[in-house]
Amino acid sequence: MTARRTKGRLPLQAPQILPAGGARQVAGRLAAYQSGGLFVALILLSFFFSLQSGNFFTRSNLLVVLLQVSIVGLVAIPGSMLVLSGYVDLSVGSVSVLAVAVFGDMVKVDHQSIAVGIVAALAAGAGWGLMNGFLISYLDFSPIVVTLGGYAGARGAAEAITHDVTQFGFGNAFGELGNGLVLGIPVPGVIFLVLFLAGCYVWYAMPVGRHMTAIGADKAAARALGVGARRIPFVLYVMSGLASAAGGLMFCSELDGASLSIGIGLELQVLTAILLGGVAFSGGRGSLWGVLFGVFFVGVLNNGLVLMNVGPYFANLAVGIVLVFAASADAFYRRLEGMPVRVDEIKEQAELTGTPTPEPGG
Amino acid sequence: MATEHPVVLEVQEVTKRFGPVTALREVDLQIRAGEVVGLIGDNGAGKSTLVNIVCGALRPDEGRVFVDGEQRHFTDPSDARAAGIETVFQNLALIPTLNIWENIYLRREDCGPGPVAHALRRMNKRAMRRHVEEGFESLGVTLPPLRTKVAALSGGQRQQVAVTRAVLWGSHIVLMDEPAAALGVRQTELVLSLVTRLKAHGVGLLFISHNMQHVLRVSDRIAVLFLGRKVADFAVGEATKASELVALMTGAAAGDVSAAKALP
Repeated sequence: MTARRTKGRLPLQAPQILPAGGARQVAGRLAAYQSGGLFVALILLSFFFSLQSGNFFTRSNLLVVLLQVSIVGLVAIPGSMLVLSGYVDLSVGSVSVLAVAVFGDMVKVDHQSIAVGIVAALAAGAGWGLMNGFLISYLDFSPIVVTLGGYAGARGAAEAITHDVTQFGFGNAFGELGNGLVLGIPVPGVIFLVLFLAGCYVWYAMPVGRHMTAIGADKAAARALGVGARRIPFVLYVMSGLASAAGGLMFCSELDGASLSIGIGLELQVLTAILLGGVAFSGGRGSLWGVLFGVFFVGVLNNGLVLMNVGPYFANLAVGIVLVFAASADAFYRRLEGMPVRVDEIKEQAELTGTPTPEPGG
Repeated sequence: MATEHPVVLEVQEVTKRFGPVTALREVDLQIRAGEVVGLIGDNGAGKSTLVNIVCGALRPDEGRVFVDGEQRHFTDPSDARAAGIETVFQNLALIPTLNIWENIYLRREDCGPGPVAHALRRMNKRAMRRHVEEGFESLGVTLPPLRTKVAALSGGQRQQVAVTRAVLWGSHIVLMDEPAAALGVRQTELVLSLVTRLKAHGVGLLFISHNMQHVLRVSDRIAVLFLGRKVADFAVGEATKASELVALMTGAAAGDVSAAKALP
C-alpha cells in the first residue's frame, strides 16, 4: 500500500478497505441471524398454511403441532449440544424404544409399579448414553460408528427384552404424561419448553455452553486451554440417552402401549431439526434458538402439508430440500465469516508509529 | 535499564538427552523483567527443547529452572502457566468461532455478580467485555471490535489476541516461538510492536526467530545456541550485525566449536 498522509484530515475515501469491511460486516450479521432467517421462514410458512387452510391457525391445531414436535425437540436439546461440540448421537431412536421396552417389561412382566418402571427406563437410557460417552469421549471411538452401533444394538436389545410382544394398558395416571394438559398445554409440550429454557441457560449463560463451542471448533486448542474436552461430551451423551428415554416414555404414554415402532426415524428428525436450525455439523457454531425454529419448521411443514392433503412423501421431499438449502447457506456464511477484517487503517498506523504507552508502575 | 530489574526466569545448567542425542548441554539463561532475550540457533540447535523445558512440556535431565528466584519443577504446561509463564506457539490455541473477548475469557469465565449468579454459573458478560476493553487500552493494543470472531482476524491480529490474553491473565514471562514465521510484513510489524509494548509493561520475553532482523530489532540480549550449547550471550548494541549472528549460529565464529561438534 502506498504511503498515505492522513494528518489532520481523514481521507475522503479508502478504496479496497471500506467495501471489504462492509461486506464482511453484512456477512457477519447474516451468519449471526441465520436462526433469525429461519424464524422469518417459519412465520412465512405459517402464514402460507393459514391462507391455505382455515384449520391451521387454530388453537387446537397449534397445540397438535406442539405435541408433535415435543419429543423431537426434547431429544434435540442435548443432541444439538453434541453437534455443537462436534459429536453426534444416532442412537436416540433406538435408545428410546429400548427404554420403552424396559418400562413395559418391568411393569407388565415383573409387575413393578409405574414409578419403578419409569426409573428403570430412564436408567436404561442414561446407561446407554454412559456407554456411548465412555467409548467416544474417553476412548476416542468414532461418534458415528459407536452410535450407529447403538442404532442397531439398542433396538435389537429392545426386541430381545420384549420378544416382539407389545405390552399395553398402563393406566390413566401414566397416560397423563403423554395426553394430559397443564394450563391447557399438552404435558409433553410443557416438558419440552421448560427444558428448552433450561437448555438456553446452559447454552448462552453458562461457561459450559461456550466450552462446547470451543470443543467443536478446535478440540486440541480447547484441551490445551483446559476445557473439559472429555467430560463435557461424556455428560452430553448421558443427557442424550436420558432425553431419548424420556421421549420414548412420552410416546408410550400417548399410545398407551410399549410399541416397538417407537423411535423409528427419530434420529433423522432430530438431526434434521438441528442442522436446519443452523448448528454446523462440523461443530463449533450454532444457536439453540435456531434449533427450536428448526424443530417447529419441520413440525409446521408436516402439519400444514397434511392439512392441505398433500401426501407424506412430499413432506419428506420438502424437508429434504429445505435442509440442503440450509446446509449450503451455512457453507456460504462460513466462507464470508473467514474473510479478513481490515482494521481501521489509521488506528493501525498510529500503533505502528508508536502511540505513547504508559510506563510500568514501578 | 534492564539490569536493574529483577530476574524473572533463570535456567541453570540444563541438560536434556533424547536417547543418545544430547539436545541441550548445561545451558544457562536469564531473563529479567522488561527484557527481551532473543534466542537463536540453527535447526536442531536446541531452541525448541529449551522452550519446551521452560514451558513445562519437557522435563530436564539435569539442571534447574527458577521463576522469580524460586526453583520450580514443572510436570506439565499448566504448572508453568500457573507460575506465570505463557508460551505462544504457532498454534495459538484460539477458537475461531468465538469472538475476541470470549477467547480471552475462555475457561476463565467470570460468573456473577452476586452469590446467586455465581452459584448458578451465570456469566457476567458485560464485566468480562469491559475488562478486556480496559486491558487492551492499557496495553495499547489495537484490534477490531471485541465482538469480531477470531476466524475473521489476520495472523498478526490473532497473535496479538493470544499474547494479550496471556499478559492480561498475569503472565509476566512470555515465550514466543517463531511468532512471525507465517506473517506478512504488516502483520509482523504488529507483533514486533506488541513485543516492545509488553516490554514496557515489565514482561520478560524470550523471542525465538530465524529472522535475524527481527531478533536484532526487539532484543536487549541475544543468546545463541549451537548444537545444544550456548555459545554466545551478549547485549545487543548498535554494532551488532546479522552476519555475526549467523556466524555464531553456524559455528563459524564460536569459541568452543570443536567441543560442540564432538557432541554425539
